[in-house]
Amino acid sequence: MGLGGTLLLLIAVMPFAGALLPGLMIRAGRNVCAISTAVPTFLALTMLVVLAPSVMQGDVVQAQIEWLPQLGLSASFFLDGLGLLFAGMILGVGLLITLYARFYLSGEDPMGQFYTYLLLFQGAMLGIVLSDNILLLLIFWELTSLSSFLLIGFWKHLPEGRQGARMALAVTGAGGLAMIGGMLILGNIVGSYNLTDILAAGDQIRASEWYLPALILILLGAFTKSAQFPFHFWLPHAMAAPTPVSAYLHSATMVKAGVFLLARMWPALAGTDAWFYIVSTTGLVTMVLGALIALFKDDLKALLAFSTVSHLGLLTMLLGFGTQAAAVAAVFHVINHLTFKAALFMTAGIVDHETHTRDIKRLGGLRHLMPITFLIGTAAALSMAGIPLFNGFLSKELMLEEASHTDWFGSAYAVPVMATIGALLSVAYSLRFISHVFLGPVRDDYPHKPHDPPFGMWAAPALLVAMVVIIGVAPFLAEGIVTAAANAVTGADLHPHLKIWHGFTPALWMSVIAVAGGIVLLLLHKPLDKLWIAAPRPEAKAIFDRLIAGLVSASRAITEIGHNGAISRYLAIFTASSVALGWVAYSSGGLSAPTRELLPVSPVIFVGWVMLIVATLSVVTMHHHRFRALVLIGIIGLSISAGFAYLSAPDLALTQISVETVTIMLLLLALHFMPKITPKESSAGLKLRDGVIALGAGGGVAALAYAFLLRDIETISDYHLANSYEGGGGTNVVNVILVDFRGYDTFGEIIVLGIAGLVIYAVMHALLDGPAARRLKNTDYSHDRSRDRHPMMMVVATRVMMPIAIVVGAYIFLRGHNQPGGGFVAGLVIAIALLMQYMASGFAWTQERQRMEYHTMIGLGVVIAGLTGVGSWLFGRPFLTSDFTYIHLPPIEEFEVATAMLFDLGVFLTVLGGVMLMLYSLSRIARFAGETVNVDPMDYDPADRITDEEER
Amino acid sequence: MFASDIAILLPEIVLSVFAMAGLIAAVYTSKDGMAPALVWLTAALLALMGIYIGLTGEGSQVAFDGMFINDGFARFAKVVILLSAAAILLIGKDFMQRDDLLRFEYPMLIVLATVGMMVMVSSGNLMTLYMGLELQSLSLYVVAAMRRDSVRSTEAGLKYFVLGALSSGILLYGASLTYGFAGTADFAGIVAAVEGGASLGLIFGLAFMVAGLAFKVSAAPFHMWTPDVYEGSPTPVTAFFATAPKMAAMGLLARLAHDAFGSVVSDWQQIIALLAVLSMFLGAIAAIGQTDIKRLMAYSSISHMGFALMGLAAGTEQGVSAMLIYMAIYVTMNVGTFAFILSMQKDGRHVTNISSLNAFSTKEPIKAAAILILMFSLAGVPPMVGFFGKYAVLLAAVDAGLNLVAILGVVASVIGAFYYLRIVYFMYFGEEREGIDGKMSPLAYAGLMAAAAIMLLGVFNLFGVDSLAEAAAATLVR
Repeated sequence: MGLGGTLLLLIAVMPFAGALLPGLMIRAGRNVCAISTAVPTFLALTMLVVLAPSVMQGDVVQAQIEWLPQLGLSASFFLDGLGLLFAGMILGVGLLITLYARFYLSGEDPMGQFYTYLLLFQGAMLGIVLSDNILLLLIFWELTSLSSFLLIGFWKHLPEGRQGARMALAVTGAGGLAMIGGMLILGNIVGSYNLTDILAAGDQIRASEWYLPALILILLGAFTKSAQFPFHFWLPHAMAAPTPVSAYLHSATMVKAGVFLLARMWPALAGTDAWFYIVSTTGLVTMVLGALIALFKDDLKALLAFSTVSHLGLLTMLLGFGTQAAAVAAVFHVINHLTFKAALFMTAGIVDHETHTRDIKRLGGLRHLMPITFLIGTAAALSMAGIPLFNGFLSKELMLEEASHTDWFGSAYAVPVMATIGALLSVAYSLRFISHVFLGPVRDDYPHKPHDPPFGMWAAPALLVAMVVIIGVAPFLAEGIVTAAANAVTGADLHPHLKIWHGFTPALWMSVIAVAGGIVLLLLHKPLDKLWIAAPRPEAKAIFDRLIAGLVSASRAITEIGHNGAISRYLAIFTASSVALGWVAYSSGGLSAPTRELLPVSPVIFVGWVMLIVATLSVVTMHHHRFRALVLIGIIGLSISAGFAYLSAPDLALTQISVETVTIMLLLLALHFMPKITPKESSAGLKLRDGVIALGAGGGVAALAYAFLLRDIETISDYHLANSYEGGGGTNVVNVILVDFRGYDTFGEIIVLGIAGLVIYAVMHALLDGPAARRLKNTDYSHDRSRDRHPMMMVVATRVMMPIAIVVGAYIFLRGHNQPGGGFVAGLVIAIALLMQYMASGFAWTQERQRMEYHTMIGLGVVIAGLTGVGSWLFGRPFLTSDFTYIHLPPIEEFEVATAMLFDLGVFLTVLGGVMLMLYSLSRIARFAGETVNVDPMDYDPADRITDEEER
Repeated sequence: MFASDIAILLPEIVLSVFAMAGLIAAVYTSKDGMAPALVWLTAALLALMGIYIGLTGEGSQVAFDGMFINDGFARFAKVVILLSAAAILLIGKDFMQRDDLLRFEYPMLIVLATVGMMVMVSSGNLMTLYMGLELQSLSLYVVAAMRRDSVRSTEAGLKYFVLGALSSGILLYGASLTYGFAGTADFAGIVAAVEGGASLGLIFGLAFMVAGLAFKVSAAPFHMWTPDVYEGSPTPVTAFFATAPKMAAMGLLARLAHDAFGSVVSDWQQIIALLAVLSMFLGAIAAIGQTDIKRLMAYSSISHMGFALMGLAAGTEQGVSAMLIYMAIYVTMNVGTFAFILSMQKDGRHVTNISSLNAFSTKEPIKAAAILILMFSLAGVPPMVGFFGKYAVLLAAVDAGLNLVAILGVVASVIGAFYYLRIVYFMYFGEEREGIDGKMSPLAYAGLMAAAAIMLLGVFNLFGVDSLAEAAAATLVR
């Protein structure tokens, strides 16, 4: 990086570095503040001038700093003819605007803040035109949106200012985001994010299948920024900003960023049909439409705004033509438009500043009161109208020349005619600007008596108008920079000659028609204006607002459909999505042919299956009756247990049966405190929806299971079958897995079970302090109380069964290691035996006979299991390693003693304790609800009754 | 062997012991009176662990026979998780205290959730995966329902629990299918089993596990819980939901996708890309109609998860790296945004309506500027750091040939930008009405300012996150 590169970097950095100054300097006075803004701009401009000669000769100055190389980002800049032109414009006009704003802004306005934003914006704008990395360009691009947002919103007290700022940001910001996608694709096609590389790879880009999406995304960015139809509406609304901002952003620089991008990307993207039709058509429509609206605007700035829209359309159209001559015309018109439009904006600002109104209908005759302003405004407006000897004429001629031989969908007339109409309208509104503001009689009802402003205020527009005239008279002076810029755009070596007289070309005649027609139109303005107001026309802002409103209501609809707060709907969406995902998975992989035959279905199994289905359906239909539902659930559980037994899984069957029994019993007890019938919550339609989803999900899972069962699958069962006897000393694989292979899991599980029991106890404890307790107290359960709560038959039967059940439990516990059974099942069996006692004789009676606290039982269980595990450490083995031996007790038979059995004992105790503690918790509610405590084992003791009879 | 395993798990163990010790200590002493001190202590410990993990640990270490992996990827995710959890605890402290919600269980539950997340991102086995996930989820169910006297909060907790249980069920179904067909629960074993094409059973397992995890990252269409839970939970809890757990779930998804199914990228790429697109659009469109800022942030997070998933969908090392960058930036932005949302109140009462931000900039220009930066960053507008996250995932998607997904992502980000800008609009140009007070606790203020500063200053080099993420991703994708 040579001296040029360093200078280039300094130019890019200068506005940002200087942005702090005005904010700090404002305390030193307004002049110092303005000067501190001008200094960095001036320095940057000087450096640019230093670089200019070599660039004009076709050199390209480059500078690069690595930034985020992983992301393909580098802070690289380059300066070619196009960059030089735009950078010069940005800095030059920036300097003039600084001067103008110093006088325009009033004492109350926070000037420091304004200048800071202005410099930020200037820096962002410079960044766009100097970036050599498209991502860097993108960043600066959005930065201009941001800083312009701050500038437009500068006058916060104006409601239009707010609206305008928001709309501008929404439209241009969104366009910039869309551009990210286009730039990424472009970079991906070329393999580099360097602009120089991309510009060199035009053919490769145009040949890519992703050319069109990339083009559209980039154009979206450019069109929104340059206010092209149908995004043109934001620009006029942004005009509520202070006039210096309008002049700088909305005529000279920011809105040209889109045009700049089109020019910059010209070598890479232009030259295809898509480019021609999209870009030139958009430009053409925008040009005519903007000019038409401008003619009927009464607000001076709105008129200028729509005229800007129109001229931007003209530039876009020229670039869209894709020819070299059109590119030259575009570049030239960029310069010309800048000079006259900025001058016009400043003139409008002066008028507004002096008369306190911008309404054309309230103006007129200012020629006599403000002669200097009149001179400046008229010269600039004539240039805008394209009158000879002003620079606007030259570029307009070039444009018409290009338009006159452009075919559009086979029509040779469409473009020339439209272009002429555009030019005609342009003449009309330009002349209207002059005649309705400055000409005519002096009025006596101006809101404020106007006179020419101080020199500082008209100096800037005067300088611009001087350029308008100089270029207009001696166009060859601009030839150098136009050539350099046009060469940079087209990548060719062009030598355009700019001159006033081209002979009697079609363009000249078109120009004549335009001027003549424009004058006629102006004369007819009054009746036309009435017609215009009466005519229905789409108001872009209203459309924008309606679009937003539509989006909002669409969004509300989505949230109402998807997130109405009903969990049933969430579950429905969740389940349906999972089924859909399952379908995706199914359709992605190939299903191999089934390798297994279906087993024959025996009648018993068939009956069991039907029972299961009927019971399941009955639960669905009858679940409102809680008791019935519980009975049916019990049936389902038992059928499944039977199924396990049938399919040679006695262990599972045993466990399932015990678990079923215990849970049904606990649920029965809990049911006592709940309403008998649940409320109906779903309508028929919802039920149908849920039914369909449920069938889909259930059917899907069933189909999955069916598919897997028909195929040979390697499972891990084989490993366990092979190792359970050798490794764990047991032939009951399930039990060996539980207490040995996966001892850790079981250890964790019993702890969880114990904690669950304790938590239920604790929650119940907390619950009985709260509002639930009050509800319980006030509920009368006496009506559903049986007369014979502790029937004798049941008491006697359970007493008889208890020792049997305990023996069964012990048996199951002992045989567990080799046969179906084990500590878990044994715990449940004994729990059932105890539960029955509680049910038969009531809680209090049984509790009195309970010798061991359930809490203790849980703790003991966990400790025993834990100690068993620790025990293996004594023998230098890892935690929970089991050992076993066989013992032969003559009356029984040979059985195995494994350390695992001790562990199983822990499991047993914890299960028992946990289950009983849950029961205890339930009984606490019962007693709280006013249940009496019985001391007798049964309600009618036969023994008592005998005494009664004896007494009688 | 055992000792070295323990050494690898040291941070997790320290935190677990701390949580249990803290619970016991508080129960036997001053209970909730101890809570403020516990919050400070917890935040300090979390931050310390984050720094410790960030500075130590070389290469990839494996503990407990591959059940637990401590590699660069895990460390990156853990640092983000730990630091954000510490930050959220601190910025939410005053809120919880003022609302009389600061129970001593709160910091301890956060620690336990954090441990769960650390296990998640380090899991090398389906069982470790599930254990970490459930430890995290169970703690979160409880903190969501922390405000027990509010119907909203308890409803949020319950909904989250019911749906979470369903998602866990689906995840388990998928995991058991995977285990059954691969014959092992170790990721290393699974990746060997799917080498050269996964069988249909494994694809089903994968699909259902992705569904379960999509719920945890709140990716559409498994996102339904997010708005309700965000709205119903106490705001500090919402802030927590929006940050660390998202990183953890993303990390876990990435680990599962690459460690266990890394050899069949094409099988999950489509699913994740689909989830990404759905999330981006749903989040972007649904957020537009929101007036409650907490609900809005919920949809915003759905949309952001879509972008992070897009990085993952690329299926490349670059994609994982982009996802990590994205998540790190996302978490930072959310810490800052929630620091502000936490302090939105008027006359001592919390407000969450967006219109209460009206004309905030005239009252508090500095804070408003900070929010402006954060909102632009969330919208992904350059030059804020948020843009780089978005850009990184888009780049990864384009480089992986997912051009269409990237374009859709761009469109979604355009739509999404609208509602962030709306907040800025209200703040800067809203009609002057009775707005929020603008008072902030010092901690929340610090959080807001720090996040905004990072979003602005990070432009220079992203604080090196990109190269760290690249190194981290390199350890995951092989």
